[in-house]
Amino acid sequence: MRNGFYFKLAASNLKRNAKTYFPYLITCVVSIMMYEMVCALGQNPQLATMAAGDSMQSLLGFGSFIVAVFSVVFLIYTYSFLMGRRQLEFGMFNILGMEKRHIARIMVYESLLTLLVSLTCGLLLGMALNKVMFLVIVKLLNGTVQFGFDFSFSAVVSTILLFTFIFFVNYLNALRVVHLASPVELLHRSHYGQKEPKSKWLMTLIGIVCLGIGYYISLTTTNPLGAFGMFCIAVLLVMLGTYLLFTAGSITLLQFLKHRKKYYYQTSHFISISGLLYRMKQNAAGLSNICILSTMVLVILSTTCSLWFGIEDSLYRRYPSEFVLTMNDDELTDARLAVVDDILAGEHLSVDKTTYHYLAFTGMLDGSHFVTDRSEFSMNQISRIYNLFLVDLKDYNAAMGTNAYLADNEILLYCNRGHYGPDTLDISDYHFIVKEKLDHFIDNGNAAADIATTLFIVVPDQSIIDALYTYQLTAYGENASQIQLYEGFDTQLDDEANLALYDKLTAALGDSEGDIVESRTQSRQSYISLYGGLLFIGIFLSVLFIMATIIIIYYKQITEGMEDRDHYIIMQKVGMDQSMVKKAIHSQILTVFFLPLVVALIHLLFAFPIIKGLLLLFSFSNTTLYLQCALICFVIFALAYTGIYALTSKTYYHIVKMN
Amino acid sequence: MTLLQVQNVKKIYLTRFGSNKVEALKDVSFRVEQGEYVAIMGESGSGKTTLLNILAALDKPTSGQVILDGQQLNTIQERHLASFRRENLGFVFQEFNLLDNFSNQDNILLPLVLSGYKVDEMEKRLMPLAKELDIADLLKKFPYEVSGGQKQRIAVARALIHEPKLILADEPTGALDSRSTESLLNLFGRINGRGQTILMVTHSTLAASHASRVLFIKDGEVFHQIYKGHRSNEEMFLRIQETLTLLSTGGGLHA
Repeated sequence: MRNGFYFKLAASNLKRNAKTYFPYLITCVVSIMMYEMVCALGQNPQLATMAAGDSMQSLLGFGSFIVAVFSVVFLIYTYSFLMGRRQLEFGMFNILGMEKRHIARIMVYESLLTLLVSLTCGLLLGMALNKVMFLVIVKLLNGTVQFGFDFSFSAVVSTILLFTFIFFVNYLNALRVVHLASPVELLHRSHYGQKEPKSKWLMTLIGIVCLGIGYYISLTTTNPLGAFGMFCIAVLLVMLGTYLLFTAGSITLLQFLKHRKKYYYQTSHFISISGLLYRMKQNAAGLSNICILSTMVLVILSTTCSLWFGIEDSLYRRYPSEFVLTMNDDELTDARLAVVDDILAGEHLSVDKTTYHYLAFTGMLDGSHFVTDRSEFSMNQISRIYNLFLVDLKDYNAAMGTNAYLADNEILLYCNRGHYGPDTLDISDYHFIVKEKLDHFIDNGNAAADIATTLFIVVPDQSIIDALYTYQLTAYGENASQIQLYEGFDTQLDDEANLALYDKLTAALGDSEGDIVESRTQSRQSYISLYGGLLFIGIFLSVLFIMATIIIIYYKQITEGMEDRDHYIIMQKVGMDQSMVKKAIHSQILTVFFLPLVVALIHLLFAFPIIKGLLLLFSFSNTTLYLQCALICFVIFALAYTGIYALTSKTYYHIVKMN
Repeated sequence: MTLLQVQNVKKIYLTRFGSNKVEALKDVSFRVEQGEYVAIMGESGSGKTTLLNILAALDKPTSGQVILDGQQLNTIQERHLASFRRENLGFVFQEFNLLDNFSNQDNILLPLVLSGYKVDEMEKRLMPLAKELDIADLLKKFPYEVSGGQKQRIAVARALIHEPKLILADEPTGALDSRSTESLLNLFGRINGRGQTILMVTHSTLAASHASRVLFIKDGEVFHQIYKGHRSNEEMFLRIQETLTLLSTGGGLHA
């Protein structure tokens, strides 16, 4: 009977706080649904058997980890907001004679009820959508679907475990709040008032510096090899900078404006500056979260979309020809090439082959000096690591159909990323003079795939390549490179025939170690799997982040609505007409609301160079495509964001009730 | 010279679904002369707040009219109302109604800023007023940092800064302790002394005893009035109390 009483009280508490609890419940349901889905997909036995399904699965595993971390952080954040608002209520219970242990008991029921409802809804929705998502993935991977209901028991179990854990942590938090709530505090609360926020020059300065360095890193990173590490540093700096500028910078700026009397004491500025000061004080953290989440959504969506839509582009860069054979250039090479020719002849194929010898090895570029001294390698010089790709003039002219001429110490040079400055190049005892910097070169997919920048060099004679081979052999020992033979050709066959030919070539050549046969058609599948997986995860996470954005905004509107109501009434009483007040409040809300979006756009723009570098790692270099994707993603996101605003501001005006 | 003229003002409220009519003001008429200090007394529900709202042009009478300095309030266009109120009326409320996100100085200057005054002009008006009201030290502070009595003086300064024709005060001592009440009433006496017209709604006998005339409202009508004449505050206090006793016991004492 008594339990029934507590249960009823808990249920009616939830109902009474519906305005704030309902969004929390939705957040729980969506998080549970997402987590269950990504887990179940990751363990889907059908997916495992599909071509390239394994890389998709490992991506999904990674995705489920991110969803889990995000759920923990976000649900705890949301719940503590709810508890903060209920402090008064607990104090009231206290005054009415309820002991803290009674309240704690009510909270148990509340938590259990919420957990039960959200787990039921979330798991059911998750299982239902799971099938849809699976079909989407199968479509992405061009696989075939076997119909049937997949039920992943372990996914359900891990979902229940994770969210029970989150709810337990939240319950502990609730206990803390209940414990802290005191009736005396309740009585004194209205006297607190809000302190006017002070300018924080130091924090602002640090924020500016962080943001500046972050942007600078992005703008100056030209070498994709360093891009990834630098990207992480830049992201952290920009996040910190965003946070500081939202919390401290905005207030410092507003205080500065406030102290300029001529500016401040104007009707429109007067109301909005002091209004914004308090809004920023309360919302800065939430706003910077929104801004960071928005930036993440934009970066994730624009990059994964670019990769997905640029698959063909990347494939053609990585595999300039339908077939690419790379083999060590030794005494057996001719025999192996003959085998290839035999197979092609057997298929009645006459192909146009590009064949050349090359030597590629890695070293450090010191000005115009290329060194192979390993002792000088260290991580902070990562951007100085270059590949050297040497071809002799005869092969070059043959492959490119040119008729270039080089004197003894002259070279042609092509740099595949960035720009090589000097007009000379020193390697070993050679002092080369760059006769011409080329703007394109013989295609070589391996260099496109390599994260280090490659210097392509045409030397006058084969003997120089041989000499440099010996030179790097001495320096690198067993890690040294071999002189390679490259042969690429296109066939006019359909996909199936290409795959069959690929199997034949691999069977014939695959037994010796240095021989590599690559086929564009054969690789396409793994590209689709990888990039499709990335796109899928990208969209998945974006949905999650957008949901988080909505929730933060919604709670922000509620809090503000409550506080603005009083101000609104007073301002009317002292001689502002309604439309004036409405305009003033509206413009403040707009400023506060769209500031994160604008800042996110600025972040995205500044991130462009470093993202370009990162995409190069995926042999993606179609800048136009990236810009298109980014633009479309931004427009869609901005529209969604505005939609969220329209919806939540309804709640706001409902609270303020502009009569 | 008559500053404010209230003629046969009647106000009827409709209840939520329009089924019941509540007559808040039956038929109220009175005049306030330039430089007068008038208190309006009445019990809760007598219609004093309704009357004040109508005088403040926050509400419109069902019939009858209010004329302030020759201007009929109900002929003023909606969009000019706020600025009319700002420039001709000064308000002092029971709950002060200061904005917490403005410093005291900015609270006082608010009406001037809304009317688009220049900074020099604002400062020229602010300083003498702040000295007169003894709030010069409080200007940089915020409303939540000062006491109730100080808050009310800030609110008075805000009401006076526009040099309004009429000050409307709604229970100005209602939230104050006895010492602050005394000092506020003395302040009202002083500003009235330099020619400022004040109309105050109150149910505090003490507050009303400072006024030069007291109007009594009962059941939506002006029931009685007392002129102070040459009486002292204490004598006035006793007269008011007598009248109130008579009023509540139902005596008829029409002026």
